[in-house]
Amino acid sequence: MTARSAPAERIRQALLNGRRRPRQPGGSPTARRGDGYEFVELRAYVAGDDVRRIDWAASARSCEVQTRVILEDISLTLGAMLDDTPSMRVGRKRSLAAAAREAVELWYAIAAADDRCVRLIGNALHPVNAYRGASSAAAALNATGTFDLRSSLQLARTALRPGAALVLASDCFDLKDEDDMTLFALARRHDCTLLLARDPWYDELPLSGVVKLRGAEGGVLRAYVGAPERERYWKAVRSRESALLRRFTAAGWRTGLLHESDGAASLAGAFGA
Amino acid sequence: MSFAHPLRFAFAVVAAILFAVVYARLVRRKTAHDLAYSNLAFFADAVKPRTWIPRALSVSAVAAIVALAFAAGEPRMTAPVPVRDGSVFICIDTSGSMAAGDVAPTRAAAALAAARAFIEESSPGTRIGIIAFSSGASMIQPLSSDHSQVEAALAAVPSPSGATAIGDALRLAAASFPSGGHRLVILVTDGVSNVGVDPEHVAEWLGTQKIPVYTIGIGTPNGGEIPGSSDEATIDEGALQSYANVSGGAYARAQNATQLHDALARLGRVTAFERKRVDVTGAFTLGGVVLLVGVFLAGFGLGRFA
Repeated sequence: MTARSAPAERIRQALLNGRRRPRQPGGSPTARRGDGYEFVELRAYVAGDDVRRIDWAASARSCEVQTRVILEDISLTLGAMLDDTPSMRVGRKRSLAAAAREAVELWYAIAAADDRCVRLIGNALHPVNAYRGASSAAAALNATGTFDLRSSLQLARTALRPGAALVLASDCFDLKDEDDMTLFALARRHDCTLLLARDPWYDELPLSGVVKLRGAEGGVLRAYVGAPERERYWKAVRSRESALLRRFTAAGWRTGLLHESDGAASLAGAFGA
Repeated sequence: MSFAHPLRFAFAVVAAILFAVVYARLVRRKTAHDLAYSNLAFFADAVKPRTWIPRALSVSAVAAIVALAFAAGEPRMTAPVPVRDGSVFICIDTSGSMAAGDVAPTRAAAALAAARAFIEESSPGTRIGIIAFSSGASMIQPLSSDHSQVEAALAAVPSPSGATAIGDALRLAAASFPSGGHRLVILVTDGVSNVGVDPEHVAEWLGTQKIPVYTIGIGTPNGGEIPGSSDEATIDEGALQSYANVSGGAYARAQNATQLHDALARLGRVTAFERKRVDVTGAFTLGGVVLLVGVFLAGFGLGRFA
């Protein structure tokens, strides 16, 4: 296994910690208590041991309280939904899609040898075979296909092993109101993280006078943009961003902002790493 | 509207259409000034930008091109233009019936006041003359562009007395007009022509010379008693309408001083203009250039993407 960078290591630890401490009642780690633990040995009980780990049969045989020492299963399933639709291919100096890819690269960089990396693109998981470790990370990263947010969310709900770590890097323009139930269901089943693409012109709309806007997904808008329009834009972008973050947070997702300048740092920021 | 150079206009129209096609492509073309935006629907909904301004600029650009295409054909059109060489004779009836008081204070006094209003409303360069007529016609004021002098001459119009020689008045006016220019006669009368030459024939002749006669009949429908006599002052509306029709003028009836004043004042304004074929190339050129410069400044010069 290659050495992970400090942010990757911190993200991995955060994910493992999250498995032990569900972030909301009924979260996946608690629901599947006991899964993924490997027995190592028995030893004499010492104060502070979890009483649930006491092996009563072994204690009876040895007339001494014995504790089962177990090895925690630290393998992860790292799922990523990388929105590379045309709306993400805009930006001030570089595209948001490039920043999102950087974030997903870091996401897969946290993978250990036994971890499985998958990309959710449309209706399929990539890679489809059971690669693990770096090979699965490379295959997932290089997977191609047409991304569709809503299909990918549904896929994550049905196809990913419970307890998987899932990251979504998107501008969420395709998210509908009725998707809230899916977001809730995903957060109950997985450790979910949203990297919401911050509008490249969040700070200031650099338009003045008669301008032409070319839609990333097609279409052209010619309009006059003055101070009132810039003010309305400023408010609308902030309002949209905070509303989306509130929605995901309420659904149980970890949230962060994907900045055009540095996708990896954005992911690390979402984990406080 | 007609064109001095129709072929040139046709070429200009073709050029304008080509320009419009190229312009439309340029507008749609991707340039460095375009802002690639992720979601236009969100932008339009959130910002509510003023899309009518670019549309207005596009319409202005088209209008500018059309105006310049018209200008290329050197268009001519018939339009009202201020009269510069106008000559007007006001023929005022001073027959005995004009002393009747049905139009306050008397028909004669009301006619003089109305003539004054006409003079005031006339364009400054118009030459105005005064002819008074009763049993005969006399020149009170020859044609003059000094309107204050003409107004002063109204004081010399004699008091009402005698018969009504409308034909003589029209003939005197016809004889006193210059040979060219914008000429017309205003006939203010209340009665029936009963002496002198036949006014119908003179009016017809004036019509052939393109000198319209505007007739104004004064008096109430019941007529008025002529002071110092037992006669009723009547009005021959049919004859007055006929004089106007055959000469290309118009007839108006004034039953009180206000109507008479308004009629003459309106005539003063109307006769200050004449319809002429004028070259409007300059106007189209100026309009087209101004619109183009405005469109350029507003559409390209002022719009920016920093």
